[in-house]
Amino acid sequence: MSQSKTQDEGKENIYDTAKCRLLRKYKLSESDKLFLFRFEDPEIATNWRFKPGQFVEVSLLGLGEVPISICSSARRMGFFELCIRNAGRVTSQIHKLQPGSLVGIRGPYGNGFPMEQFYNRDLLLVAAGLGMAPLRSVFLYAIDNRWLFGNITIINSAKFGNELLFKRELEAMKDIATAEDISIVQTATRDPDFKGLHGRATSHFEKVNVDPKNCAVAMCGPPAMYKGMFEELIARGYDPRYIFVTLERRMKCGVGKCGHCNIGTATSWKYACKDGPVFDYYAITSIPGLI
Amino acid sequence: MAIIDGCDGECQPRVGVYALTSCYGCQLKLATVQKIMEIANAVSFESFYMLSSASKHPADVDVAFVEGSVSTEKDLEELYEIRKHSRILVALGACSVNGGVQSWAEGEMTHEELHAKVYGTGKIGMKGLQATPISKHVEVDYYLPGCPPEEDEIMYFISAFLFGTFPEPKDYPVCSECRLAGNPCILIERGEPCLGPVTTAGCKARCITFNVPCIGCRGPVPHDTAWFDSLAMTFKNKGISKDQVRERFRIFGAHNPNLEPMLKKIYGGTD
Amino acid sequence: MRYVKISKQNTYEFLERLKKIGTLYAPHKISEKFFDFCEVDDVKDVMFEYQRTIRPPRRFFYPEREVLFTFDTRKVELYENLPSDKKQILFGVHSCDIVALRTMDSKFIDDQPDPYYKSRRENGIVIGLSCLPDEYCFCNVRRVEFVDAGFDLFFHELPDGFLVRVGTVVGHKLVDPYEGELFEEVCPDDTENMSKFEEKRTSMFTTQGNWDNLRYFMELRLNHPMYIRESEKCLGCGNCTLTCPSCKCYDVQDIPSIDGRTGERIRFWDSCQFRSHGLVAGDHNFRETKQDRFHNRYQCKNSYCSATTTSFCVGCGRCTYFCPADIQFKKNLMEIAGYKGGYS
Repeated sequence: MSQSKTQDEGKENIYDTAKCRLLRKYKLSESDKLFLFRFEDPEIATNWRFKPGQFVEVSLLGLGEVPISICSSARRMGFFELCIRNAGRVTSQIHKLQPGSLVGIRGPYGNGFPMEQFYNRDLLLVAAGLGMAPLRSVFLYAIDNRWLFGNITIINSAKFGNELLFKRELEAMKDIATAEDISIVQTATRDPDFKGLHGRATSHFEKVNVDPKNCAVAMCGPPAMYKGMFEELIARGYDPRYIFVTLERRMKCGVGKCGHCNIGTATSWKYACKDGPVFDYYAITSIPGLI
Repeated sequence: MAIIDGCDGECQPRVGVYALTSCYGCQLKLATVQKIMEIANAVSFESFYMLSSASKHPADVDVAFVEGSVSTEKDLEELYEIRKHSRILVALGACSVNGGVQSWAEGEMTHEELHAKVYGTGKIGMKGLQATPISKHVEVDYYLPGCPPEEDEIMYFISAFLFGTFPEPKDYPVCSECRLAGNPCILIERGEPCLGPVTTAGCKARCITFNVPCIGCRGPVPHDTAWFDSLAMTFKNKGISKDQVRERFRIFGAHNPNLEPMLKKIYGGTD
Repeated sequence: MRYVKISKQNTYEFLERLKKIGTLYAPHKISEKFFDFCEVDDVKDVMFEYQRTIRPPRRFFYPEREVLFTFDTRKVELYENLPSDKKQILFGVHSCDIVALRTMDSKFIDDQPDPYYKSRRENGIVIGLSCLPDEYCFCNVRRVEFVDAGFDLFFHELPDGFLVRVGTVVGHKLVDPYEGELFEEVCPDDTENMSKFEEKRTSMFTTQGNWDNLRYFMELRLNHPMYIRESEKCLGCGNCTLTCPSCKCYDVQDIPSIDGRTGERIRFWDSCQFRSHGLVAGDHNFRETKQDRFHNRYQCKNSYCSATTTSFCVGCGRCTYFCPADIQFKKNLMEIAGYKGGYS
């Protein structure tokens, strides 16, 4: 079984899982919690690697599997974090897990963000709602490899202030951030009582400290957000070759087999779990049905 | 995984099984599943008259299975009481889920007309109502359709419930299970009005396997994906009249709000 | 390639011997209009002439429902439930279905192999059989009417038996022991007869030419009115996908036992025609309407499989033949691409 082999090597059954222990859980909002996991097998725990934007399948025996984006830094090894919304029959049970509980993990899956292509560029990260989860991984990666990137801006938005994920974490980073040419913008789109910025991500572009001509953009949010963002970015002179988004689909298997995340048309038929979930500007705008 | 919240092996979930107007067939099915003894060990039946005369009615339970349609005022009162005393309420079987065959006259006749037709001028001992599914009156947490429900679905529900969750409901038709069973298609081959394409899957196409067209006992596919209009069009092309189609759809689907508009779309406005 | 000949009488004897190697499945007539691959009891029941089976051959390698794992929730362990290495022999597979199996291989073996499918495929023997098309067939325009790989043996009908192509080492091992006894050498007359059969077969297709540019027209006419008109007829029953030899969507469910600690993780065929196929958390559906789902299948089936250099649709005609609503896939594709004529 899983404990005798590492995730990468000698894996015979691609659907088999490796045991992970839940070590900590934190409440991020009314419906979202952050879970910190570590593989039981120390060898896997040490050697397991992932890229920002990749996801894992979390398996709760008796309930099933759900795909969840990894939201911790790929550079901090030995553990990983998942931000999980209580939104269905499996995730509601994950929310009830107590530290010490075991779950099964498969992965990491998906292409992830092409971080190497972002090197030596400024970075603009635009997150809406739960989209902050995969982008936190990108953000922390950039901070952990600060020398590889230019100026960084992260725009975190949610409908209501209390739904802003990692709000306190980002706030706490603000002082250091300014010293390190990192701009952190947190905005609530439909919350007049929020003590902070209001409006959509696009209305805060003046706070962005990046150079559009030499900037990579990573976005994650509801599909409806992308069209407007694309127009805004192109109008402001961002290079479309460096605009990437990550899509959500029902990735049941994670390995391009089950077909639930099928997207595209006859000449460009994609599996969001293998060919994505990160797609570039050209894929998104040329393949109907992606957003 | 814990057996229902905070109940890991130390306490037993309390279960109640109740009947409104029905044939008691669903209870009988539940009482005669192969693993009934295992269920009886895992849960505590607070109320299940078919199994124990020590049943209370209603009892405070974690999950209540209710069979039968609401067809009398007494049914309605009982249903409200059951709902008040139950954490989770499950509609068990065709009558409870869709009103059952006794709903056939829904929208066709008033209760008075129906009463006159069946009993003439005779009196009955209780105040009758037009038969309705229980979801018309109370919140229902889960549906186990069928006449009677399938054993594997009952077992899946109970074991999932013990896990603190519920089964993933089926939102596809019997027709698909029929194809997987390798049955020749009665509709294509013989032109008979089989309701497989609009009926909730789960029975593994039991009737069609025995060469009998589906009459839809498991009720229309949920989430408005029972395409009565498309099926009516298919039937119409095979020369089946509106009345025949309508009667058939109504056996177990009279309460479905999409039925009449969709039929009208295909066959036109005349009744 | 090695070619041998077998008489009709000897073919029955050969089938008897195949039964000793493993479970033999072959086409049987199951009702007035339908055929299905069934386990062979009496070899005389095997149908050598049939158009299409109701269930696709993929089910022998990728069953409708199978247990992937059993599990123990207290130990948090999954226990693999790999298939037995029992031999399965499929006799009478048409060329379209053989190509379809290869499209399945491209997903289930070539890349991150699925151990369940792979194991059954390795223990499977595929014996092809020539056929004559009916008006639902269009494998020729899909360029899969004649296969040169993916079978162990391929039987071509002759007036007095079959000309057999040997496709693999496994095929050789089936033929070699019976050479001179059941199989004989091919003579020029046999080749002549096969040639005549092929000529007759080619002329019988109601569509001619090739449909290589179809997928581009599919994209250029994404909003073709056909989709609205035809999806109105659609029952959403999924028969088109479940009978399709190259559809492979599945769903996975955990079925717990009543004891609260063990259970099974099962996999079963899913269909993109079902509402839940595109459903994600928070009740958002990426294929919200019946028309979206209908459209999805047309795109998916016409997408390109690089392993076979064909489309995933192999033109077997099942989705039309077994559609209770009589939706004509071939005709609809021709309408989108603007292919004129050739349709009866």
